[in-house]
Amino acid sequence: MSVELIWALITGAALFGVGIYGALSQTNLVMIMMGVELILAGALINLVAFWRYLHPDVAAGQMFVLIVMTVMALEMAVGFGVAIARFRSKGSVEMEEAAELRE
Amino acid sequence: MITAQAIFIGFFGVAAVWFGVVVFRTFSMVRSAIALLFSQTALGAMFLTMQAEFLGVLQIMMMATEMSIMAFFMVMFMMDPGGMGKMEMTHQKRLSWIVGLASFVGAVAIAVFIDWGPVATTVAETAEQTEALGLELLGRSMLIFEMAGVTILTAMIAATSVAIPPMPSPEKTHKDKV
Repeated sequence: MSVELIWALITGAALFGVGIYGALSQTNLVMIMMGVELILAGALINLVAFWRYLHPDVAAGQMFVLIVMTVMALEMAVGFGVAIARFRSKGSVEMEEAAELRE
Repeated sequence: MITAQAIFIGFFGVAAVWFGVVVFRTFSMVRSAIALLFSQTALGAMFLTMQAEFLGVLQIMMMATEMSIMAFFMVMFMMDPGGMGKMEMTHQKRLSWIVGLASFVGAVAIAVFIDWGPVATTVAETAEQTEALGLELLGRSMLIFEMAGVTILTAMIAATSVAIPPMPSPEKTHKDKV
């Protein structure tokens, strides 16, 4: 088994864990988005490691990375759009003050 | 066997995780955004170490832009962007710790205990990789690539329309004038 592959996967696992912690524990919308970015970063490093060490001859592996990068950009764009709308209407992007969205 | 590549992957991996942790440990929002930028840059450096040059450069360029924009938004939206008041902005910390740790342990267990099969030692040259990726994107994966493009366009329009302030109704404007 390759040490490089295992270290890359462990890095991905750690970023995923830190991202999950951030997304669940933060009360601010922008900070929650940062957590989601870290979760996706964990996925990215796994995809690159799998492509490099298991299937370097298949370009589809790199294409998956581009798709995840697209998802990261989309998450930011839509998230900031929602944040602006929320801030404009309520003056805050604190999620603990957004309980009325459930009703 | 520990190779130079393994050492660099380990180094950049530790840096990426360390800066990822700093994102949630600092009270300053600007520092948070910069820590996330460093974390993503370390990830880009890992890609370069793994000989995925195109993806590494793309990651660093994209994240530098994205995190700069994020820093602006952090300053605009946070009640205490400088972190001088050391405001507590977390909740359900215990649950978050448990779920985060369980996710990490589970993912590490999968990484370590699964037999991933034979590992490739060599990889194509950068130019060949980029050419193969281009042919993949404009060939077999064309539909997925086009879908990604259309989705980005849709998200841009949606985000802009959500962010634009609602127009006051003509009736209300008339009443205000009267």
